[in-house]
Amino acid sequence: MTTKPKLRVGSHLLPGLAAVALFVVIAVAVLRASFGDPQGFPSDGSITASIGYAMFNLDMGSVTGEGFLVAFEIVDVVLVAALAASVLLARRERDGDVVALLADGGRQVHDRVTGDEERRAAERPPESEGGDR
Amino acid sequence: MVPVQWYLLLGTAVFCIGLFGILTRKNALLFLMSVELMLNAANINLVAFSAYWGNVTGQTFSLFTMALAAAEVAVGIGIILVLYRNFDDVDVTLATGMRW
Repeated sequence: MTTKPKLRVGSHLLPGLAAVALFVVIAVAVLRASFGDPQGFPSDGSITASIGYAMFNLDMGSVTGEGFLVAFEIVDVVLVAALAASVLLARRERDGDVVALLADGGRQVHDRVTGDEERRAAERPPESEGGDR
Repeated sequence: MVPVQWYLLLGTAVFCIGLFGILTRKNALLFLMSVELMLNAANINLVAFSAYWGNVTGQTFSLFTMALAAAEVAVGIGIILVLYRNFDDVDVTLATGMRW
């Protein structure tokens, strides 16, 4: 059986009035401001191709735009950092053992198979240190 | 062509819906969705003014905003996983200390 989501009306919605008030203020400001007619893009030439050229600082697009090569590289670094951060956050530690095998590169399985488990356990820092518990 | 005011009004509406969600909800996943709405409202403005000036810069910049939004969601989901693991819930009001 499917159920419809219901909006619970109550005092918890009161802070939302600030958002509604903000909408009214901005809407009045926007509608009272005068903008000229939009220029629009030229009908000949591809906008998509121009975006691609602008992204790599190539001056070949039919629509004018700035170069974004530096921003492209910075976003590249930020995406890798976010990937590493999300893996670090999602890693689970319990009783000192790394449960997520992906996060430790399979070290735990390797130790169990080769019998290095005791040696590793002696090297491991005590459980009171670190961890996300 | 559609006047630029209507795009701005749409962007404002989407932004305020996101703000409403953040102010009234406690679920961390709904928080993430609301932040996405607010980011996309900014994208609507960028694309609207891109068409207004006949310049491709705004559209290119909104692409980078989307990439940053993806990175933000990746970190946000990681934080929500840790939140659930430590509190058995995704209620953002439960986590009040800096460490435990």
